[in-house]
Amino acid sequence: MPAAPPAQTPVHATRLRTLQALGIFCGFAAGAWLGGAEAPIKLVNPDISPITVSLIMVFGVFLARWSVPAFVRGTSHVRNDVRQAPHLIVWAVLAGCMWAVANTLTIYAIRNVGLSIAFPLWNTNSLLGIFWGFLLFNELHYAGWKRWLGVLGGAVCMFGGATLLAIASSHQAAPGKAALGIFAALGAGILWGTMYIPYRKAYLTGMNPLSFITFFTVGELVTMTVLAVAYRGATPLWLELVGAKSVMFWLMLGGFVWVIGDLFQQYATKYVGISRGIPLSNTNQLWGLLWGILVFHELRGGSQAVYAQVAGGSILMALGAVAIALSSATAREHSSWQDAADREGQRYGVEGEYVRAGMEGRATQSAVIQGGGMPADPNARTSLDWLLILVTTSLFGVLAVMARLPHVDIALGWAIALTVAMLALLTTCALAIWRTTRFR
Amino acid sequence: MSPSKTDSSRGMFRAIVTDLHFWIPLTVLLGGLFLLDKLR
Repeated sequence: MPAAPPAQTPVHATRLRTLQALGIFCGFAAGAWLGGAEAPIKLVNPDISPITVSLIMVFGVFLARWSVPAFVRGTSHVRNDVRQAPHLIVWAVLAGCMWAVANTLTIYAIRNVGLSIAFPLWNTNSLLGIFWGFLLFNELHYAGWKRWLGVLGGAVCMFGGATLLAIASSHQAAPGKAALGIFAALGAGILWGTMYIPYRKAYLTGMNPLSFITFFTVGELVTMTVLAVAYRGATPLWLELVGAKSVMFWLMLGGFVWVIGDLFQQYATKYVGISRGIPLSNTNQLWGLLWGILVFHELRGGSQAVYAQVAGGSILMALGAVAIALSSATAREHSSWQDAADREGQRYGVEGEYVRAGMEGRATQSAVIQGGGMPADPNARTSLDWLLILVTTSLFGVLAVMARLPHVDIALGWAIALTVAMLALLTTCALAIWRTTRFR
Repeated sequence: MSPSKTDSSRGMFRAIVTDLHFWIPLTVLLGGLFLLDKLR
């Protein structure tokens, strides 16, 4: 355990409480959107190679990771962040490479053991996140036993719930392929759990999530393209991409929806740390289950015992999430985070004011001065920003026209209801981020 | 590239490669690539 409490000026108690509440809200919103992202992938013909599926998804992710920041704040903010902390480009690209490999593994996992088993296995990433958060970034230091119990107990509770859900739906596993699927899902969990190290490095040093993801996605796209060309060969890959044009929209839509969830997850990581933000965003399993049961008729005809396991698992997960949400960081623990932030700032030569402003979700003093006493216009956008938005919108429009709705039995009413719920969460959470931090 | 920019890039590179935090995700990434190669 640490030797002595840190000594910086603490963040004002009211501001700290607001930021913690915002981070927790972002964690729940992330769960909804990350869970919903798996739905469009279910509409795709299983004959397409997982590598190609992943590559097409990453095209959608790439477009989203540039167009969403352009829409929300404008890319000029990205340039400013890079000037302040250029080393974070390396960290963001590294995290992007990890994401791409993990995402490809999840496709193998879903194909071999089904979403219901794969989900809880890769969601063990939250336990790894807590470990890295404590070990490397002073999270949960000086937290007291109640908060330790809330976070660790909550994460274990969520894991237990996830396991129950897996048992309930284990009859869906493809015979003979279970071991491969389990390895793939666990591998994805380890990659994602460790990917939060670069995330936390970036946000402790004050980087804006909207800037981080623009470089993150370069790592994703390059890794995925290299993997796809190396594994499939350039010509077969091209032919498969051309052959997949009728489902390209659904895969890229899955990637786009994932990015929205990931963005909320990034804000959660920034304001409540990885030990709390990641378990909360892992409520995506509940959303995945809702989509599976209500829209895709999974578990139809199951026994009462199966439904009891699903209900029990879901309740356990929800209780775990509530326990974590109620264990937000105290001022003392937050000071300990500032210690870790100072260490990062000193190592990489980042201005103290930039680091501190980033942690508090406010503009730096220099930005306020440039804005004549007010923060510089957060809505300033260049023609490049509008071009990015236009190109992305047009491309999705063209793909939507070419798209074919696969012959899958879906409950359209439930699909609309869940989509409306996700959009409501998106709107309220985005408004909360805007009001509290202006998307910082 | 000016000498000061070169020095700054070298300093940044040194800070990254001497940071233990960098080697943990890099090792896990290589492990993931290995696993993917075995699964395909």
